[in-house]
Amino acid sequence: MSDGDIQTGRSEGIAWIPVSAALVALLGLADSVYLTIHHLTAVPVPCSIVSGCETVLTSPYAEFSGVPLAAFGAVAYFIAFSFAILASFGNRIAWTLFGIQVALMAVVTAWLIYLQAFVIGAFCQFCLLSALTTFTLLILFVISKLRQSK
Amino acid sequence: MKESKKGSSGIPVVIIVLVLVVVVVGGFIFYRQSQPTSKPSTAATPSKTQNQQPQANYATAPPGAQPPNMLGSPTATVTVEEFADFQCGSCAAAHPVMKEITSAYAGNKNVRFIFRNFPLQMHDKAYDAAVAAEAAGLQSSSKFWQMGDQLFTNQHIWAAQNADARSLFLQYAEKIGLDIEKFKSDMSGMQAKTRVDQDLTRGRALAISSTPTVFVNGKVVPYAEVTSAGMRRVIDAELQATAQPAQNAPSGNSSN
Repeated sequence: MSDGDIQTGRSEGIAWIPVSAALVALLGLADSVYLTIHHLTAVPVPCSIVSGCETVLTSPYAEFSGVPLAAFGAVAYFIAFSFAILASFGNRIAWTLFGIQVALMAVVTAWLIYLQAFVIGAFCQFCLLSALTTFTLLILFVISKLRQSK
Repeated sequence: MKESKKGSSGIPVVIIVLVLVVVVVGGFIFYRQSQPTSKPSTAATPSKTQNQQPQANYATAPPGAQPPNMLGSPTATVTVEEFADFQCGSCAAAHPVMKEITSAYAGNKNVRFIFRNFPLQMHDKAYDAAVAAEAAGLQSSSKFWQMGDQLFTNQHIWAAQNADARSLFLQYAEKIGLDIEKFKSDMSGMQAKTRVDQDLTRGRALAISSTPTVFVNGKVVPYAEVTSAGMRRVIDAELQATAQPAQNAPSGNSSN
């Protein structure tokens, strides 16, 4: 195997994995950019008798040393996207780095889901979308590894 | 093979840079577009607040707990009255603002601050928290504010879904140096609860639909104005407005 044909291992049919990973990462990137801007611009909404209030995005957990968590998410997705694109064009190391990156993101995501479910007691849709995209990326990576090992 | 790789290696970089540019530019445009939601309201409200009439039934509504939890002189000409829920995130967000404003006007005998409990039903621990603050206030009025401070700054801890709020309230009570036994009995007694209920009755009569709701001399301060600068603007305008009639008193009073 030369270093040109890579990610796809022996079968040529699985190049779709890094490509779709890049697309999914792009979705995650758009989502986190949206969340970051929403966090930065949203005037906290008063708690209305009728419609409740945004607990998750205004909770102290929504920031880490003053930086919105969503901004870290945006950077993480951008890195994952870059690795996936490099891998799509045959860079094998990038695909390994992608796996490490996505595994780290999945751990952080699991923690955030835990916070939403058990500590804050509220969920936010776009945070859950981000969780979904992260786990999708992880699954894609795992599939590629399983295929490779066959 | 090497060559073909080199040939294509530029493309991923181009794609990555392209996406970065799109994200940065798109994000910036979206950011700019999102901002006006807060900007016009801040720009438009000062005049709105100034022209606004006090809520019609402000003076006639049930008075709420007496004496109220108040900072400042009872004879002040400007009354800032905040209705808040200790479990509400935006009330906790407004807390540092209110705290700063109260200390900024602490020396001004023409300004007073009243805190009203308005625990919302959707917040499971808000009523208990209000009772805890009132129970603290039964020991001394300064303890009410200290307890309120504890409740707002630790909101994310006691308001958490699986938190044992009542035992946390006891911890806060201990921290601010309350008589714990008295606090415990006041927590379950009627006096503190009655005060909360009286505040709630007043709030409902004033048709409060969200927390925090801040009145300055009976005029609702829009939530976007509940900032350090916004509150100063509104209070100062009201100070001026209440000072002027005194100067113009001769002409104004002649018709009486």
